[in-house]
Amino acid sequence: MKFIVSSSALQKPIEQIAGVINPKSVLPILDYFLFDLKKGRLTISATDLETSMTTSLNVESNADGKIAVPSKIMLETLKALPEQPLTFNADVETLNIEIVTDSGRYKLSGQKPDDFPKMPKIDSSSSISVKTAALGNAISKTIFATGTDEMRQALTGVLFELKKDGINFVATDANRLVRFRNTAVKPTEEISFVIPKKALNLLKSSLPNSEDAVAKIDYNKSNAFFTFGDVNLICRLIDEKFPDYKAVIPTENPNKLLINRLEFLGSIRRISIFSNKSTHQVRLKVAGSSLTVSAEDLDFSNEAKEELGCTYDGVDMEIGFNARFLADMLSALQSDDVVLNMSTPNRAGVLVPSSQNEGEEITMLVMPLMLNTYN
Amino acid sequence: MDRNIVHIDLDSFFVSVERLNNPKLIGKPVLVGGTSDRGVVASCSYEARAFGVHSAMPMKQAKQLCPEAILVRGDHEQYSNYSNIVTEIISGDVPLYEKTSIDEFYIDLTGMDRYFGCYKMATELRQKIMKETNLPISFAMSTNKTVSKVGTGEAKPNGQKEIPFGTEKSFLAPLSIRKIPMVGDKTFQLLRDMGIQWIHTLQEMPLALMQQVLGDNGALIWKKANGIDNTPVIPYSERKSISTERTFDKDTIDVKALKGILIGMTEKLAFQLRSEEKLTACVTIKIRYSDFNTYTMQARIPYTSLDHVLIDRVSGLFDKLFQKRMLIRLIGIKFSHLIQGGHQFNMFEDTAEQIQLYQAMDKLRNRYGKDAVNRAAGMDLNDPKNTKK
Repeated sequence: MKFIVSSSALQKPIEQIAGVINPKSVLPILDYFLFDLKKGRLTISATDLETSMTTSLNVESNADGKIAVPSKIMLETLKALPEQPLTFNADVETLNIEIVTDSGRYKLSGQKPDDFPKMPKIDSSSSISVKTAALGNAISKTIFATGTDEMRQALTGVLFELKKDGINFVATDANRLVRFRNTAVKPTEEISFVIPKKALNLLKSSLPNSEDAVAKIDYNKSNAFFTFGDVNLICRLIDEKFPDYKAVIPTENPNKLLINRLEFLGSIRRISIFSNKSTHQVRLKVAGSSLTVSAEDLDFSNEAKEELGCTYDGVDMEIGFNARFLADMLSALQSDDVVLNMSTPNRAGVLVPSSQNEGEEITMLVMPLMLNTYN
Repeated sequence: MDRNIVHIDLDSFFVSVERLNNPKLIGKPVLVGGTSDRGVVASCSYEARAFGVHSAMPMKQAKQLCPEAILVRGDHEQYSNYSNIVTEIISGDVPLYEKTSIDEFYIDLTGMDRYFGCYKMATELRQKIMKETNLPISFAMSTNKTVSKVGTGEAKPNGQKEIPFGTEKSFLAPLSIRKIPMVGDKTFQLLRDMGIQWIHTLQEMPLALMQQVLGDNGALIWKKANGIDNTPVIPYSERKSISTERTFDKDTIDVKALKGILIGMTEKLAFQLRSEEKLTACVTIKIRYSDFNTYTMQARIPYTSLDHVLIDRVSGLFDKLFQKRMLIRLIGIKFSHLIQGGHQFNMFEDTAEQIQLYQAMDKLRNRYGKDAVNRAAGMDLNDPKNTKK
């Protein structure tokens, strides 16, 4: 096989899918890209067996063929080359690859294309189309709340819950939870599946940002297929039941704290510097129309306290939170003001923007820390 | 004020421990460390040192120098167990000590001479450690850490030494500069290139010259060479844990009763955690059988201070550890890796009611004493006739 292409035209799609490759993979063939050249169209694939991505581009060619190309050396070479046309020449019998540029020749050896794992095929699946911008937004609003505990697989991904009136994207690590609802899309059937974090991160970085671009999501029992532009991402769904999150979202949280988001976030960030480095515990004390944020680290005699103005409707209370969780959530929101709805110091606080964007609804829930306030 | 600082050091510690388990190794050159060619010597016996082997030397080189040496892979868990036994003996007998490594301690006996005679006391401590562990150990006593450490090096193997106040300088003078702690390969080379071999040369040099050549470190080395060292013995603390244990009047094998006691102990420690607003991430359980053999087992857990989580772990560990069908003399629990903070509620596992129950129980205990309310299973801990102490 042989083709001619400009180095940057090849570099871009390769960088896009290179994130799939797991640097610690056990199967050597997973360190390779599959190059499949057919009638001037080059399709490049990468996989770690869980997640696979393919992309394609037009090249100048008249000799079709297929070969697995070592990913690391290929990517590094492309990155180091200045923009120029290059000729890619591979002998499918001997598996020798030669890349020729204006001034140089680079030789490397490939692998048999048949050793490369087969991509799952979309069969008898259902599908839905979402604007790529909306999908990217949903991912970045939720992905930070996913868990890392390998023992609880379902929590390491984001739940896509298709409802007649919209899609819910839900992520939780059992200590905090985000539900992002997109009501612009109206799915035709009700179903839900959990997409692993790795696939979502890859999606986030490769989804086109343009207004009108649309991503098609096909899904069946075991896989989800995301198609947008020239890119195709296939991932295995997490085969574990997502916990019943609706049961834990409190419906009645009568104590409402309205506060400027950036002021609150700034304060939390400063105070958390003085909190314990493992628990990041901060105390929020609301009384009247003032909120006191404080933290201490007894091991180092660090202590900090700030008072903020707020609008509070409820009984005075003191509640502890992990400052990291609060900061993550506040930075994921965009509104000027936020409302923190609370019940008691032992129950979840619910953070919502003071006004929701059209066509979306975001609810964030954070579990408190147990404070010793009864001495 | 004159201080009395003891430096105590287990001789070729890893080798000594290996010899306890395998008497065949006694009197032979032994190397402990990575057995592959790329490994390094972690410890070597004095017989091996005669061939020029020293610790931190690549194993390959050591094998060339001493082909007949016996290689042992080493078992770090066992070493730290023995180290802990020694630490326990020392901590029981002296007012202030510092553990600087697995086999090395500084002890400050200043002020003890009025009652015991410091050197006598240190000698007795050494005898006690040797008797209880069967491990060879050396020490030296002087007015500061540096001189004592150098002294221990001179006292080895298996010896002891006193460097009386006022004789520090003359004691150090005839020794190689290599013996000064801080002088490593590089500094040694540098000083040797300057024509300095013995400490007395260093002693006679002006401080300013050393400072010029080696900067602040030079000044420090000069002071050490002159036997001046004011660094204090910093107490070794493991206050990052809380623990409790119970020795029985009569050895027992009643698993049900033992579990009840463990539950009671766990409740008490968990209450202590919560009232200090702390969380633990490591649970250790200890069993001593009637033959005085002691076994411990620990498990890492996510940070918590809740009874039911801890009780689950403790009884799980007990079931795993209690394998011998033998009478038990003592059981204990330790929570370590403590950090400051409140329990992070889990939305799927913790219910507000459960947390309220803990808070209500803690409230009662704060008001009416820590035994005010207990789980029924852990009750008999409060029965004074069951406790020995």
